[in-house]
Amino acid sequence: MNNNSCDILLDYFNDQLSEEHRKEFETHLLYCEECQDELAELEQLVEDLPYAAEPVNPPEGMKGRILSTVKDENKNITPLAHKQTEAEGKSSYAKETENKTKNKSWMKPLIAAALTLSLAGNGAALLYINNQDNEVAEEPPAKPINESLDAIKQSLTLSPSSGVNAEASALMIEQNEKMNLVIEANNLPPLEGEETYQVWVLKDDQPHRAGTFVTNAEGKGAVSYLLEGDKSWETIAITKEPNANSQKPKGEILLSSPI
Amino acid sequence: MQLHDTELFKRIQTHDEEALELLYDRYEKLLFSFCYRMTNNSFLAEEIVQDVFTKLWTKQRNFDETKGKFSSWLLTVTRNAALDKLRKKSVKTYELDERDALHEDPSSVETQVEWKEENEQLQTAMKTLSEEQRGIIELFYFKGMSQTSIAETCGIPLGTVKGRVRLALKHLRTELSSIKERGMQHEQ
Repeated sequence: MNNNSCDILLDYFNDQLSEEHRKEFETHLLYCEECQDELAELEQLVEDLPYAAEPVNPPEGMKGRILSTVKDENKNITPLAHKQTEAEGKSSYAKETENKTKNKSWMKPLIAAALTLSLAGNGAALLYINNQDNEVAEEPPAKPINESLDAIKQSLTLSPSSGVNAEASALMIEQNEKMNLVIEANNLPPLEGEETYQVWVLKDDQPHRAGTFVTNAEGKGAVSYLLEGDKSWETIAITKEPNANSQKPKGEILLSSPI
Repeated sequence: MQLHDTELFKRIQTHDEEALELLYDRYEKLLFSFCYRMTNNSFLAEEIVQDVFTKLWTKQRNFDETKGKFSSWLLTVTRNAALDKLRKKSVKTYELDERDALHEDPSSVETQVEWKEENEQLQTAMKTLSEEQRGIIELFYFKGMSQTSIAETCGIPLGTVKGRVRLALKHLRTELSSIKERGMQHEQ
């Protein structure tokens, strides 16, 4: 079997394997030193090859097109969507978010999933899911994919603090003049005892609680929270707290983003 | 002072638009040319460059400083994105063509070429390879073909593909090293 696995190294390198075979090979790679060495050697051998490409001038206007599309991206897609597995209760949300980005009607599964999240979260959230067609005109759609984003005010990716290897994204969905905050996080370190993860929103450096959650065995967690009152929050952050009752952050900020 | 690629990369991960533009400017032409080399299609090449920067911006790819140069990593990400695009678009089967295996039109390698020296060295090294070896590198690296497809296209036994790819790449690397060495001696 080993030999068979070693034989497909090149196909692995060229990403020519089925998902199943790829995973098999990656497992094989963990203990096959020969393949590890060969792969490292291969990567080194091809390192210069891109420079064999002769310089070609990019098409007119490419820079503008690409940069504007890229900058728009975080408003439409939560990066975590790519990393969800079907086993997750919230996967429908994440998968749909990704799959339907180019589909005009992806709002529905999102809201359905936001509900699921609120049930799975701390229960403190209330969602108002009235359709707000009258807001469609508010955001002039630059491209068709933006057409149904009327209620989504912001989509953010939180940056991990130095030394933290976790990811989180936040969606702010406005409904009935209230803001629903939906947070999803991945790769968070495991919690002990009564510890929880706490989401905060800050204004003038004053933190306000914005959802408490715990992670599963894989370090994933999610929460949906209804933000009352003032909407001009400046920062969103996630900390680890000794229990679910912290009124002020006691732990270090693990992830954060300006709003 | 020029900011390091890694510094720009980190700033891009915090959605710093200025850093995005700086890194984009730095790599636009190389990435586009590389994608064009792989796809022979300027529309696809643009899409791939866009995919790559989207992946950086949305943090779908993470660069590990301990594992080598940023530029090498970025080019690997680009190549994978190109292979992915080629597969999805099911671009019609590639026919091995000497023009692809060895671009040697010197007229297009003119002014303001950032990787002119590397390019020239590679072309020189490529010429020392046999036609078959150049073909193998073309199909394996630039077309990202499976071993089965390479065996079929070249009419060689499947079991020999891996060995031939490795041999061709090693040959190229050896030649390239000696060319670079000679170049260094020249400068001294």
